[in-house]
Amino acid sequence: MADTPRRNVSFPRYAEYNCAFKYIVEQALGCRYIMPPALTKRTMELGTKYSPDFVCTPFKTMLGSMIESLEAGADTLLMTHGLCRLGYYGELLEHILRDLGYEFDFINLSDYDMSKKKEYIRIVRRFNPKVNPTRFLTQFLEGVRMAEYVDEITGEYYKNCGFDATKGQSKQAYQDFLTAMYTAQSRNDVEAGYRAAKRALQTVPLNKPKKLLRVGIVGEFYTAMDAFSNLELEQKLADMGVEVHRWMNVTNQFLHYGSNRFGDGQKNLRVKIKDLCQYDMGPTSTANIWYARECAERGYDGIVHIKSAGCTPEIDVMPVLQNISADYKIPVLYLTYDAQTSDVGLMTRLEAFYDMIDMRKKVL
Amino acid sequence: MEHAYLGIDVGSISTKGVIIDKKNNILSSRYIWTQGDPIGAVKELVRLLEGQFDKEKYKIVATGTTGSARKLVGAIVGATMVKNEITAHAVGTTTFYPDVRTILEIGGQDSKIILVENGVAVDYAMNTLCAAGTGAFLSSQAKRLGIEVEEIGDYALRSTHPTPIAARCTVFAESDLVHKIQMGHPREDIIAGVCNAVAANYLNNVGKGKKIASPVVFQGGVSKNKGVVAAFERTLGCKVIVDPNGHLMGALGVAILARRGSGRQEFDFAMEDMEFRTREASCGGCSNNCEIICVYRGSELIDSWGNRCERGARVH
Repeated sequence: MADTPRRNVSFPRYAEYNCAFKYIVEQALGCRYIMPPALTKRTMELGTKYSPDFVCTPFKTMLGSMIESLEAGADTLLMTHGLCRLGYYGELLEHILRDLGYEFDFINLSDYDMSKKKEYIRIVRRFNPKVNPTRFLTQFLEGVRMAEYVDEITGEYYKNCGFDATKGQSKQAYQDFLTAMYTAQSRNDVEAGYRAAKRALQTVPLNKPKKLLRVGIVGEFYTAMDAFSNLELEQKLADMGVEVHRWMNVTNQFLHYGSNRFGDGQKNLRVKIKDLCQYDMGPTSTANIWYARECAERGYDGIVHIKSAGCTPEIDVMPVLQNISADYKIPVLYLTYDAQTSDVGLMTRLEAFYDMIDMRKKVL
Repeated sequence: MEHAYLGIDVGSISTKGVIIDKKNNILSSRYIWTQGDPIGAVKELVRLLEGQFDKEKYKIVATGTTGSARKLVGAIVGATMVKNEITAHAVGTTTFYPDVRTILEIGGQDSKIILVENGVAVDYAMNTLCAAGTGAFLSSQAKRLGIEVEEIGDYALRSTHPTPIAARCTVFAESDLVHKIQMGHPREDIIAGVCNAVAANYLNNVGKGKKIASPVVFQGGVSKNKGVVAAFERTLGCKVIVDPNGHLMGALGVAILARRGSGRQEFDFAMEDMEFRTREASCGGCSNNCEIICVYRGSELIDSWGNRCERGARVH
């Protein structure tokens, strides 16, 4: 049998997870990975130009990023399924890209029944028919582990980077970590990169004030996590001297969700918030409502709620957050993002939010 | 010589300036139109403020800027304090009304609500993607009806049966309004309806989910419109305070912040005769193409912004 050519696989830019996609595609699936270029204004221009106007911003971002991947030589695009409109995006993205004249293979997870184990093997075989399932599973889990490390280190970074005794030390450690993850080719590389980052971040001298400002971030899955999409909101807040906490990430939302194995009290989230809402209102609403109240109960100074324009599930979350805000007297800043790339308006709101929680802290 | 403090608030529509003394008494104040030229407006403002100001008795030791052009204007006047307009309004209002609980603010292009407890802002909201229900809407509708924007309030108060006008969206409101005009509704009623629509839109969007407690202070350019004030009082069921200096509150707030701040730099009235110029440079270092704004005094570069990484540093 003639060798089938190796696929050039790509998945749109998504926060800092592309290193894990790369690892899984290259190590576990034995394909080549085409790293989509970093998101820029051009990505957004391309995405906006070919998208329906009222679709949510992550669609536009993903479409732009897919076009840039195809330009970079990808011949196979992977698209995820999802619990909101995201579930239909794969089909629509494929249509738009084909209408534009691109030739590629499209693997849309929405086409598979993800509750059946057999289906996973079908998906893997589509990427590479010669994959050994056992070897695949080992290396797939190594990639998943990398995503967990990315979340852990990112969380630590935004919690502390605003308090560097010498500005920029945390950032250097974080960037070194990302470089290690993006170039990792083996389990050893991943583990060594993680350990080095842990050590580096722990040894950065920090100046934390006694009256520390802490802000929790909740919101829509893509925009809340992707620094380009939220105009580097977390970095901006941290630079003002705030401890930034975000629960929403791939680890918590997908890997540990609803489990008690990790001792982080995530089992039965829905029961914990049943006085606030009775059923899941969307892919992330239960977690966001639970975490917002968690922030309030931990005595954080504020909550920032992030969504892209027209994100229905997150619009449904807002009234509940207003109740939490009133019950616990915690200010909530609601931010709606569209395909804009100017951060002037965001800075006005963030500075005002910072001034407010800062002055409040001093008086209370 | 006694110390004085200058506050400048450059908004999309109007430019406001005040000079205060140590006890927050206003020594000099002016309100002029920005007319799309913030630099020109500020030079004019400084010239007008100078006319009312006693240079023998006072000297300005700190300057603050706020409003959407705060950064640009801060660079050219040598500000010691550059603050966003939300904080400036909160500080200004709580200084003059220490027991205020709710601040409503409607400006030319944005609107905000600030909730205050014990003299400190505890929550705020600002309109996001849409400028519906702001001063810009009122002035465009005044133009359509052929009256001056300053007269809207008097017309509205003469009406006994305000025409209901859809308030959700400016575009819808406008087509509703045109339709009602063509149906023959009297002009007073239409104008009163527009004022009600502005208040309703504000409370539904910016004020959504916020508990509005009395005392309520209403400010920003639109607070000069008696029709909107009446609409707010009717909807909220409480008295709405409009300070005679309400339009200056942002400038006052930032002057107070400049006084409280640690920065000191004597203000030089000579800037009104200097030549300021801005240049936009596109970085081109990557496909972000950051737009970098460079501000020059004569030929000297005094400030620049808009750059996101080290690659852009070589542009200017």
